[in-house]
Amino acid sequence: MSGPASWIGLALLGGAGAVARFALDSRVGRRTATAFPLGTFVVNVSGSFALGVLSAAALGSTTLFLLGTGLLGSYTTFSTWMFESEQLLGDREYVLAGANLVLGAVAGLALAFAGWKLGGAL
Amino acid sequence: MNEDCLKLTTYFGEHQRVGRELLSDALHDVYQRHGLEAAVLLRGTEGFGLRHTLHTQRLLTLSEDLPLVSVAVDTREKVEGALPEAAAIVGKGLVTLERARMLTGRVGPVTLPQELAEATKLTVYCGRAERSDGAPAYQALIRLLHDRGIAGATAFLGVDGMRHGARRRARFFSRNEDVPLMIVSVGDGEAIAAVLPEVAALVPRPLLTLERVQVCKRDGVVLSEPRALPETDDAGLAVWQKLMVYAGEQARHGRHSLYIALIRRLREEGAAGATALRGIWGYSGDHEPRGETLLSPRRTVPVVTVLVDRPERMRRWWRIVDELTDEAGLVTSELVPAFRAVGPELSSGGLDLAAT
Repeated sequence: MSGPASWIGLALLGGAGAVARFALDSRVGRRTATAFPLGTFVVNVSGSFALGVLSAAALGSTTLFLLGTGLLGSYTTFSTWMFESEQLLGDREYVLAGANLVLGAVAGLALAFAGWKLGGAL
Repeated sequence: MNEDCLKLTTYFGEHQRVGRELLSDALHDVYQRHGLEAAVLLRGTEGFGLRHTLHTQRLLTLSEDLPLVSVAVDTREKVEGALPEAAAIVGKGLVTLERARMLTGRVGPVTLPQELAEATKLTVYCGRAERSDGAPAYQALIRLLHDRGIAGATAFLGVDGMRHGARRRARFFSRNEDVPLMIVSVGDGEAIAAVLPEVAALVPRPLLTLERVQVCKRDGVVLSEPRALPETDDAGLAVWQKLMVYAGEQARHGRHSLYIALIRRLREEGAAGATALRGIWGYSGDHEPRGETLLSPRRTVPVVTVLVDRPERMRRWWRIVDELTDEAGLVTSELVPAFRAVGPELSSGGLDLAAT
């Protein structure tokens, strides 16, 4: 699918994903308020899981495109993960910066795999 | 030296508005109308207020609505002239008045009054663009303070403000050469007095203020517990207390940045608010003065954390500050003779100066 209808769908779902990220991230971030960027971690890992489920579930290609690119594309955030790691390095929080990068990658990968397995079983 | 000056400090949020205008703009419009001698608007890097909502530059989602601190200085008459309008537009937020001595123009040898001799806070207001011998004036000034053995100095860059009664505001698409800048230095009173004429000679049309300060702790060593202040002056006006923690780039608590640990603990324990400000250039103790460089991935400038509360509550916050500054940091205590905090379901204090 292409053309105006898909763009509008992407825009709406993208907006919804961004709002969902903001709501969850700020809630987690304010509650824990640690130096570790837990909000971004939760968002990225849960988004990886969701994308795993969606892509393995027998969805139509249009639905997968809209949900994966639109909704989860704006819900998860690579740039924030990198930005916050850089901020930690700047504050000389080397352990937390390393943990953020490694845990984010390992947990994201594991959850995407788990989501894929679960989606396939559905 | 003008002995009777006031420093008006306002703590609020970046998003706060007065009608359709941003509070930060409206506030400096007031200062502009009253032609205040100096004002600097600083952006905090992390902090919380009465609602205990954390704002921090470190986490993207929590970096909207960062804390702002505006500092304005002039004679008592001028500041008191601008105060009613300024106080009226600061809805939620904190307004404090502190006494200061102001020096302008050419500064000769200075003899300090008794109360400043032990320790003094020197603040220099200048512009970022001002230069001295080819180097930025603020860097030359900090170098001078360092070479004369003053305990520490930090330059803070403003985004709006006043200089000699004229508005200086930073803009997005601009080189922002002339934005106001504030250098805060704490040290031995006699040593600061001795260096004042040279400091004034480095900056065109200098504006310096001297304030009474108590140095409580330095690099993990308690020098003197914050003075137990009376809750009110003789006439019954409330007195407030301000603690400032200057965390040099080396300042840690355990494995963590001191300012992050401080803000976190104070917020958990229910302090009324705290704001951390990051300098652009500075030093503390024996360390060489420096600022951010292009290639250094880590930040090398001091962060200052400020908290203001009633003296009785401050004793609790001091215990936390004391615990966290076990390795590093410079802690000072100051008396705040007028204070007004406004937040949801809370309004306390008044802006009449207590006589202390």
